[in-house]
Amino acid sequence: MPSSSFSTNMRLKFSVLAIVLEVILIALFGIFVRYKEVNIYLLGEDQTVHIELYPFFQDVHVMIFVGFGFLMTFLKKYGFTSVGINMLIAAVGLQWGTLMQGFWHMKRGEIHVTVKSMINADFSTATVLISFGALLGKTSPVQMMILAILEITLFSCNEYLVVDVLKATDTGASMTIHAFGAYFGLAVARVLYRPGLKKGHENEGSSYHSDMFAMIGTLFLWLFWPSFNSAIAAPGDPQYRAIVNTYFSLAACTVTAFAFSSLTEHRGKFDMVHIQNATLAGGVAVGSCADLGIQSFGAMLIGFVAAIISVIGFKFLTPFFASYLKIQDTCGVHNLHGLPGLLGGIASIIAAAVKVEHAPFHPVSPGMQAAALGCTLGIALIGGAFAGLILNLPFLGQAPDQNCYNDSVYWEVPEETKQLVEMPSEQDTQRFNINM
Amino acid sequence: MPGERVLSRDPTDMRKVSQKRVRQDAPVLCQASDFAYHKTHTSLQTCTARLQLHVYLNQAASGYSKIYPAFQDVNVMVIFGFGFLLAYLKRYGFSSIGFNILAAVLGVQWTVFLERFLFPDKREKHLPSILTASMSVVAVLISAGAVLGKANPFQLICMAMVEMTAFCASRWTNVYILEIEEHVSLMHVHIFGTFFGLMVSWWLTQASLRRETGKEDSDVTSDLFSVLGTLFLWMFWPSFNSVLVDGVVKKRNAIHNTYYAIAVSAVIAFALSALTNKNGKLQMTHIHGATLAGGVALGFSAHIIHSPWIAMVLGFLAGVIAVLGPYFVKMCLNSAVKMYDTCDIPCMFGMPGLLGAIAYVILFVIYNWNNLPAGYPALIEVGSLSITILVAVIAGFITGILLKLNICKAPPVSKFFDDQVYWEFPHLAVGF
Repeated sequence: MPSSSFSTNMRLKFSVLAIVLEVILIALFGIFVRYKEVNIYLLGEDQTVHIELYPFFQDVHVMIFVGFGFLMTFLKKYGFTSVGINMLIAAVGLQWGTLMQGFWHMKRGEIHVTVKSMINADFSTATVLISFGALLGKTSPVQMMILAILEITLFSCNEYLVVDVLKATDTGASMTIHAFGAYFGLAVARVLYRPGLKKGHENEGSSYHSDMFAMIGTLFLWLFWPSFNSAIAAPGDPQYRAIVNTYFSLAACTVTAFAFSSLTEHRGKFDMVHIQNATLAGGVAVGSCADLGIQSFGAMLIGFVAAIISVIGFKFLTPFFASYLKIQDTCGVHNLHGLPGLLGGIASIIAAAVKVEHAPFHPVSPGMQAAALGCTLGIALIGGAFAGLILNLPFLGQAPDQNCYNDSVYWEVPEETKQLVEMPSEQDTQRFNINM
Repeated sequence: MPGERVLSRDPTDMRKVSQKRVRQDAPVLCQASDFAYHKTHTSLQTCTARLQLHVYLNQAASGYSKIYPAFQDVNVMVIFGFGFLLAYLKRYGFSSIGFNILAAVLGVQWTVFLERFLFPDKREKHLPSILTASMSVVAVLISAGAVLGKANPFQLICMAMVEMTAFCASRWTNVYILEIEEHVSLMHVHIFGTFFGLMVSWWLTQASLRRETGKEDSDVTSDLFSVLGTLFLWMFWPSFNSVLVDGVVKKRNAIHNTYYAIAVSAVIAFALSALTNKNGKLQMTHIHGATLAGGVALGFSAHIIHSPWIAMVLGFLAGVIAVLGPYFVKMCLNSAVKMYDTCDIPCMFGMPGLLGAIAYVILFVIYNWNNLPAGYPALIEVGSLSITILVAVIAGFITGILLKLNICKAPPVSKFFDDQVYWEFPHLAVGF
């Protein structure tokens, strides 16, 4: 097969980039990063290393590595890249994210890490993984590592702007992670548009097994989404509200996604793409106002609307984007993260306007929420277009159009053997069984 | 407690001493401010805050509910992670996962039973006992990986029983005679499991397996299942390395160090995997092994490292060993010693474990440089490592002989790596 022997030969490009990057990261960690010292004779909020958040961190970790990784394995010949490069991006990203987020909160020229910074570092990688979903199948590992560095840098700037300058509330990060990652990825996808794939590709589809693998990812994301939205909420009531709101929003969203999936299909069958993605939209959408007192019915309403726009987005918007706007969104991240993220931002504006209960010492105002949503979108689109221009450089190991959506360009994929050397006869096996 | 006796060896334990001081101070403070409650409301608040802080600083070390989340993680690693990690053979998935859980639960029960006699301190504490048993049983699972596809369930059960007995004995020696910390003594599992497994594997495959049957390869689906297991082991490695560490600060160090080290070892695994392939393609087996190496290497020293870059350098070295190791080890083991190991166990667990042990001794000497003599405790660490390896090799050698006895009905070479020998395949009875 010509496609399995083809490679873009990234032997030196990729490994040199990764090793040099890693050496730089270790050096930067050596210069800046310290573990926080605890002085038990001083009191106050500063004296915690947040070890009680460790179970939350583990759940977020599972979502990033298994959830996002396996969610993208739905392509029939692209499982290795989906899971493997997902892990690579996240491993690079969490180190870079620790540094970038730490630079905004330095004390005496040092970055003090706690369990909370580990959670935030995992969050920052989520943006890149969402963008990876939009670009899946069309980029090389070299491009993705460069994208991870660029996107996390911009993400941490935007997050600082939203959380520390505008003082907007975004606990579950509908805006700063989901909307940001999705629109950043869409902007990159627009710049990297491949006219050769306009009519689709034979490998751009799922098989029965690959859909099952994708469901592993969906389920782990679904299960741990309450932890994702509540991990960095203020302890006590806000954190409790974040857990409960997310839980109910996801439940309402799932039922609605099934209903609308059946409704929009003319024979009333379920579409696995909707089940894999739209069931999660509720978790995304409730993120911004998860820790506010929106009551369980408010959360369920958000989940309900999120499922509808997500299913409709998959049905009508993705084809429209591909043909008219020249944006090839492989995983449909616009419908899972982009639109529900926008919905989350709008919901938080409404929640702020009707003055729901909020975390102590952290008032919310509709104007600031709207400003946060606006600047997130702006930075994401402009930054994404800029990153796309850099990724367009011709020597980054891109695969030609006919080799897209195929693992064998970047991986040693085991051959599919039809015939084994030795076929055990039925009699042979039975004789052995009796012996055992 | 065996852990308490060695406190003075580690400088970070000074914090623990000061925590104890707070524990004694706190009730006194509280009474004083109770007395002054009507005069100043704030002093009570200060007292409460201090009490809360004191509770917070001690909570991680005590109480079942604080161990439980990490215990869950270890349980997922042992049952799910190792099971799916070994599920990469295309015709051996049922057995990999099924026999894994069989060996794991048997091993845990047997170890809990043994520990009641060997470690009487824990007699009344069931959860910690199950936790240490779950961590000990990792040795069996690593050895099972070394003989993957070559042993029947009966042999695996025998192996689990003998191995757990031997490991508990070596751990008892380490904890009670050499006075090694309990956490460190459990981190010997990787090295123990590797050497034991290699000896058993040597007996089981001495004469055989020079012909390739095509059954010992992976296919795309089985490789993906294996990644699922790898990821769960990878993600929960910080829990594994920190769950038994006492004190918030050390526990925090263990979590952070492991987190950064495995991230580095994963990146290095990807880089070297592309570098060692002539087309610059990535290989899934490297990703499986090398990503885990960082966690193994950090096991010993995760709680004493003070800055992340040291941990990251260790992770870097572990990644290099795990990717480049197979090229050298396979040459020696397969051709010279005729030791056949399907899943690169020595490079996944053994050599990173040894790296970690050596790094632990070096760091130990460096951190204790100012209050010498540090030589004696460092020698004890080396001694405990040697005892572990010695016990593993001898016990593995004897177990190998046992498993070759006729009573075990070892499967013939033609039945290696085949699910059909042990499982019903109603839907695939014809032509599979």
